[in-house]
Amino acid sequence: MIPALVAIAALLLPLPFLGVAPNRLLPGEGVTAIAALGPWVALPVALLALGAWRRLPGWVGAASAGLAALALLGLAGMAAGERLADLAPAARASFGAGFWVAMVGALALVAMRGAWMGVAVAAGAVLLLAGGWLDQLSLVVEGRARAEALRGAVLTHLALAGAALGLALLVAVPLAWAGFRQPRLGAALGAALAGVQVVPAIALFALLIPLLAALLRAVPALRDLGLGAVGWLPAVLATAAYLALPLWRSVSGGLASADPAAVQAAEAMGMTEGRILAEVRLPLALPVFAGGLRVAVVQAIGLVTLGGLVGAGGLGALVFEGLAQFATDLMLLGALPILLLALAADTLARAAETRLGRPA
Amino acid sequence: MIAQPVIAIEGVTVRFGGTEALRDVTLHVNAGEFCALVGPSGSGKSTLMKLVNRLVVPSAGAVRVRGRDVGQEAAPVLRRSIGYAMQSVGLFPHRTVADNIGTVPRLLGWDAARIARRVEELLALLRLDPGMATRLPRALSGGQAQRVGIARALAADPDILLMDEPFGAVDPITRRELRAEMRRIHAETGKTILLVTHDPEEALELATHVVVLRDGRIEADGAPAELVAPDAAPFVRDLLGGGQPGLRWLSLLPARGALDPRPAPAGAPVLARDASLADALSRLAESGDEAVAMEGEAGSVRAEGILGARR
Repeated sequence: MIPALVAIAALLLPLPFLGVAPNRLLPGEGVTAIAALGPWVALPVALLALGAWRRLPGWVGAASAGLAALALLGLAGMAAGERLADLAPAARASFGAGFWVAMVGALALVAMRGAWMGVAVAAGAVLLLAGGWLDQLSLVVEGRARAEALRGAVLTHLALAGAALGLALLVAVPLAWAGFRQPRLGAALGAALAGVQVVPAIALFALLIPLLAALLRAVPALRDLGLGAVGWLPAVLATAAYLALPLWRSVSGGLASADPAAVQAAEAMGMTEGRILAEVRLPLALPVFAGGLRVAVVQAIGLVTLGGLVGAGGLGALVFEGLAQFATDLMLLGALPILLLALAADTLARAAETRLGRPA
Repeated sequence: MIAQPVIAIEGVTVRFGGTEALRDVTLHVNAGEFCALVGPSGSGKSTLMKLVNRLVVPSAGAVRVRGRDVGQEAAPVLRRSIGYAMQSVGLFPHRTVADNIGTVPRLLGWDAARIARRVEELLALLRLDPGMATRLPRALSGGQAQRVGIARALAADPDILLMDEPFGAVDPITRRELRAEMRRIHAETGKTILLVTHDPEEALELATHVVVLRDGRIEADGAPAELVAPDAAPFVRDLLGGGQPGLRWLSLLPARGALDPRPAPAGAPVLARDASLADALSRLAESGDEAVAMEGEAGSVRAEGILGARR
C-alpha cells in the first residue's frame, strides 16, 4: 500500500518533522522525526506497516492506520513540549513537511481500509486536544490565543456560504425551469453561467467592489438597507455567481431526466401542467438535483474563503491575515476548519443524496 | 333509430409543421365497438387516436366524443374520462403499483377507501397478484408492467379506452395472453375500445371494426371479414391477409353459416358452435373425412360448403 510506504519514508528520511523557531513569525529550524521522537518513532512506523498489511481484516487495518495518525499527533505534541522546555516563552514549535506527509499518508490509509474509522480518528484528535497533549504546538497556541475570533469566523463563514447558496438557488431554479421550457433560452443561459466560471474567482470578488460602489452611488437608498460595496455583499454575490452553474445544470438535468413516457402518460391521463411538474418531473429530478446541491455546498464553503479579501470576514480572513504576516500557523488555523467543514458538508450531503436516490 | 357514434371524427386534417399527418379523415365508432386502427408506420394511426383525447388538435374538421366537440371541454377533464394505455407504458417509476393504478381516480377526487377497493378489483381483473400493489414498477416484468398500464387506464371505469400499441413491447406468449385478456375485458365491460396496432393479425383477432390507414388517409373501414374477403381492395387485403388471405378470411367466417342439412358420418370430428370455417377446414384436413359435425346441430359442415363461402 503506497500511502503507508510514503508515510514511513517521510518519518525515516531526513525531512523536518517539527520546526522550532524563536517566535511565531521567524522561520524555524527543522528537526527530523528520528531526532524529535527518538525510539518512539517506531510506534507510528509499526502501526502504519500493520495498517497496510493486506492479510488483516479491513477494520483492523483501518484502526491501526487511525492509531498511527493519532500517535503522530500525540507524539508531535510531546516532542514539541520537550524542544520548547529550555527556550524563551515566545518560541514556537510547528509541524514540518515530514509530519504533514506522514499524516496525509496515514489518513489516506484510513480512507482506503475503512473510511468510517475517520470519525474515530477525529474523536481521538479532539480528546488529545482536550487532554492538553497538543498545547505546546504553535497551531494550538495560535488557536487558543484567537479562540473567540476563530469561533466567530466559523459562524460567519457558514452564514456567508448559506446566504450564497440560498441566493444561487433563488436564481438558478427559476432560470432552469425557464430554460427547460424554452431550450434556446436554456442554451444561452448555460453559456452565460459557464462564462462566469471562466473568470478567475479572485478577479470576480475584486471586480464586484467598484461595481457595487458605483451602484450604491447611483442608488444611495440601498445603503440604508445595510448594503455596502465592501463586506458580505460582494462575497455572497460572487460566490452565488459560481454556484449558479452546478445548481442550474443539476435542476435542468433533473427536469430533463424524467422518463418521457411517464410524462406523456401523465398528460394523457389528464394531469395539468402544474401537476405533471409537482407529481412527476420534480420527484424524478430530485436525485440528480441532490448531486448538484452537494457540489454547490462544498464549493460554497471553499469559495467564501475569498470573502476574506473583500472584508466579509469568515475563515478566509484568518487565512489572508496569516498570508500577509507569513504566519503559517495562522493560515492553517483558517484553512483546516474550511477543509473540515467541506468534508463534513460533503459527507452529510452524500448521506442525504443516497436517501433521495432511493424512492420511498 | 340510428345510434349516435360515441366517437365521431369528421373531415379532420392534421398538419405538423409542413407535413400532413391526416388528410380529410372521417371515422365513426359506435358504443361498444372494438375498433382497430391498422397501417404501416407513419400512416397516421396514432395521430388519429390522439385526436380523441385531444393530445392532437385538428388543423381542420371536427372531433366529437359522446356528441360533444372535444374543443369545448378543458383537455385535462376530457382526458380523465377516457382511458389511455400505450406501448412504452409510462408507469411512474417513483410510485407504487397501487398508486400508479389509482392515478385518475385520485385526480377525480375519489376518497382513499374507494380508490383502494378499485385498485383491488383491477388487480383481480388483470389477474395480477394482490401483493404486487405495494411494489415499484421497476420490480415488474414487461408483461406485468403492461397489465398494470391497462389497469391504470381502466381505473376510473371510463366508457372509452384508447390503446396505442399496448402489446408491442412484450414477448409473443405474453402478447397472446394479453390479447385474450383484452377480448375478455371487452366482452365483460362493453367498453368502446380504440386500438392502434401495426400487427394485422392482432387487429383481425380482436376488433369488431377495422380501419386501415395509409399516408394519412383511411383506405378501408369495416368488419374484419369484409376487409380480407376476395373482393376487398388489394392493398388492404395484402396488408391484413398475411401470406394466405384466403385462410385468414375463412378464419373470420363462422362455420355455422355453412351448415348443411345432411348429417355428418358417424365418428366425424365435432366442431364447437363458435368455430370458424378455417377451424372446420383444419379438422377436415386432419380427419380426412368429407364432413364434420357441430355441437348441438343435426347437420354437418362439408368441404364443398367451406369452399362455397365465396358464393
